[in-house]
Amino acid sequence: MIEVKGLTKKFGRKKVLKGISFTANKGEITCIIGINGVGKTTILNAIMNLTPVNSGEVLIDGEKISKTSYEKITFIPDTMTMLPGFRIEQAMQFMQDFYQTWNQKRADELLGFFKLEKTDKISALSKGNTAKVNLLLGLALDVDYLLMDEPFSGIDIFSREQITAVFTSHLIENRGVIITTHEINDIEHLIDKVVLIDEGIVLREFNAEQVREEEGKSVVDVMREVFQP
Amino acid sequence: MNVNFNKRDPLYEQVVRHFKEEIAAGTLVPGQEVPSRRELANQLKINPNTAQRAYKEMEEQGLIYTESNSPSKLTKDQSILGAVQDELLEEAVSSFVTAIRPIRVPFDKIIGLIKEKYAVEEKEEKND
Repeated sequence: MIEVKGLTKKFGRKKVLKGISFTANKGEITCIIGINGVGKTTILNAIMNLTPVNSGEVLIDGEKISKTSYEKITFIPDTMTMLPGFRIEQAMQFMQDFYQTWNQKRADELLGFFKLEKTDKISALSKGNTAKVNLLLGLALDVDYLLMDEPFSGIDIFSREQITAVFTSHLIENRGVIITTHEINDIEHLIDKVVLIDEGIVLREFNAEQVREEEGKSVVDVMREVFQP
Repeated sequence: MNVNFNKRDPLYEQVVRHFKEEIAAGTLVPGQEVPSRRELANQLKINPNTAQRAYKEMEEQGLIYTESNSPSKLTKDQSILGAVQDELLEEAVSSFVTAIRPIRVPFDKIIGLIKEKYAVEEKEEKND
């Protein structure tokens, strides 16, 4: 389980996170929803210890993040972090060199699944294919937890469908996933848990199926109540 | 498999209902293997934990059974399978009656309309 406890973070005088707390379980897909600029990416960065926080802590399976945690949790950003001059195969080699949990067999499977050519140069990829390469590099790590920043934003419908298919496949099975998004519509049926965020605080944390069962409401219904009271 | 699920009812219930419709229609035959939890999630594009819950529910209702280490299968128990059709029919009829009651139409007229509509739909189905 990932436990986020009372995270606060300031950029200069601006408070971006004002005490964020939530949990994300292994074997579940947790979705952080909020409009642009409410701190979703900052939360993921904070979980990964990529940005210093002012207070609060993050526990992964009860432990604070350390240099060995990166064999257990990975971050799939919404921008390309590999050198633009790399070909996909060089990016994969790079991952293999740095991570013990790199699984080349799975990477090859993903190449086929996403219909990517490993000789393609990263700088020449379309936006959709760049997102797929990012997913490939993250999903091919045998880690327990995956953080994905906006995996669907600006992606064409067919690429979206491919990425959605990943969520119902063995590639995600038994892992804990946190994704951020501001568009929930076509993934309502894919997620287990929702964390609604606005202005640096958690407005509501709930289980999607439970809300359907107990309140007869869709995720979007709850969002309307919470964001536009 | 392309099923339209609504976003307000519990998804696992909608999945169970989808199976019941296929049983009632005879698309699924007694003793037939059902997809694995993962295959089902993939086909219906739903959360695997929800697919799991739907199967658990169907197992409790005796609709499917699992023998150790083999894929789950649809029950061969005719009384359970027959009850599924009755249940769906009962549900559809009572919601129909609830909808039609306030209009206060004579019973014979309703029956006539049902017969007509039924004939039209059957014809359309054959043409498809």
